[in-house]
Amino acid sequence: MPEREYRRLTRTRSGRGPGAGGGLSLSRRASLWLGRDHLLQIDSTGYSETYKRFYFRDIQAIIIRPNGRRRLWNWILSVLTALCLAFGLGTNPELGARLIVWLILASPLVALLVVNNVFGPTCDCQVRTAVQREYLPSLSRVRRAQRVLAIVRPLIAAAQGELTREAIAAGLEQLSESRPAGVSTAIPPPLADAAASAGETPTP
Amino acid sequence: MAGSHPACPQCHRWLRPEILNVSGMAACASCGTPLQVEVFPALFRRSSPGQSGEAVLVEGESTCFFHPQKRAVLSCQSCGRFLCALCDCAISESHFCPLCLEQGKATGRIKALDDRRTLYDSIALSVAVLPVALFFFATFVTAPIALFIAIRYWKAPLSLARRSRIRFVFAIAFASAELVAWIVIVAMLVMELNA
Repeated sequence: MPEREYRRLTRTRSGRGPGAGGGLSLSRRASLWLGRDHLLQIDSTGYSETYKRFYFRDIQAIIIRPNGRRRLWNWILSVLTALCLAFGLGTNPELGARLIVWLILASPLVALLVVNNVFGPTCDCQVRTAVQREYLPSLSRVRRAQRVLAIVRPLIAAAQGELTREAIAAGLEQLSESRPAGVSTAIPPPLADAAASAGETPTP
Repeated sequence: MAGSHPACPQCHRWLRPEILNVSGMAACASCGTPLQVEVFPALFRRSSPGQSGEAVLVEGESTCFFHPQKRAVLSCQSCGRFLCALCDCAISESHFCPLCLEQGKATGRIKALDDRRTLYDSIALSVAVLPVALFFFATFVTAPIALFIAIRYWKAPLSLARRSRIRFVFAIAFASAELVAWIVIVAMLVMELNA
């Protein structure tokens, strides 16, 4: 039997990252796959797929940043559950059937609430190459993103080599020195440009 | 050119080296946002300038198919033409000439260039199954369409990640069953009318 070309790293997830059109989209689903020399992100509508490849030799950085999406969903689901319970308990005790209906309506919300917390904190995960900064919507939980990073890190190291702390410090120093003249080290070029166009003085 | 200085996605200020490549989260020194940032040597690597190909110095040396004055350094893995460094298009350890690259992208022969695929197996299955749940009488039209799609695109490339044609098989089975059901219904109606 021939070897499978891709290994699944994440299950299919609804929605897109903040950098890819923004917001939650139920019609689009993203998943991440591990190839021999690259990561493959599949963005699917169910009837067509678009692919993005991130070759191990090109990946410059992977950034995981926790966000407040889990808290937001906790609030929404808690309020809806509380409303269901309030309507159920507020009805006439003789109308037991209505209470049962409200409890049945509340149960999937409670299940979603539990699932939302079992999966752990949410995050935005960004992969960066020389020419792109892509969000990986399928890595929407910190634990999963860290697990994938642990799988991918040695593969990238095998393609590019290891990086010591001294090399990082020296490399960053070099990058800082090669910045455009007149730009403060505290503010990266895009912010400095925005501040300059707004007529503000950048603060360090 | 090397990459740009890694910045915090929240406050866009440059990150300090202490928080890079640490296990677990570390706070951005400027805004305090917890981050896990893993950087790799490609960030500091300077991209090499493109090669233009070496001129032929010795008469009788193999030359590039597209540039007869340039020395051939390898051959196209698809058509075998000799290529100079300028014409060499390297894709995932394979080397192609510009023509084969263009044809490979157009025909989908070079998988590494595929950036979009239509999932005909999913379309055929949906066309076969969804009308049963939504509006059964529509299957009179949709069943032959599903059969056509499944047979016409049986050999079309599937998703890069999926390798099975099971959806096509289910689509054909469903559509065939619907057609048989319609034939039986029509036959019964005709027999009833005759009686």
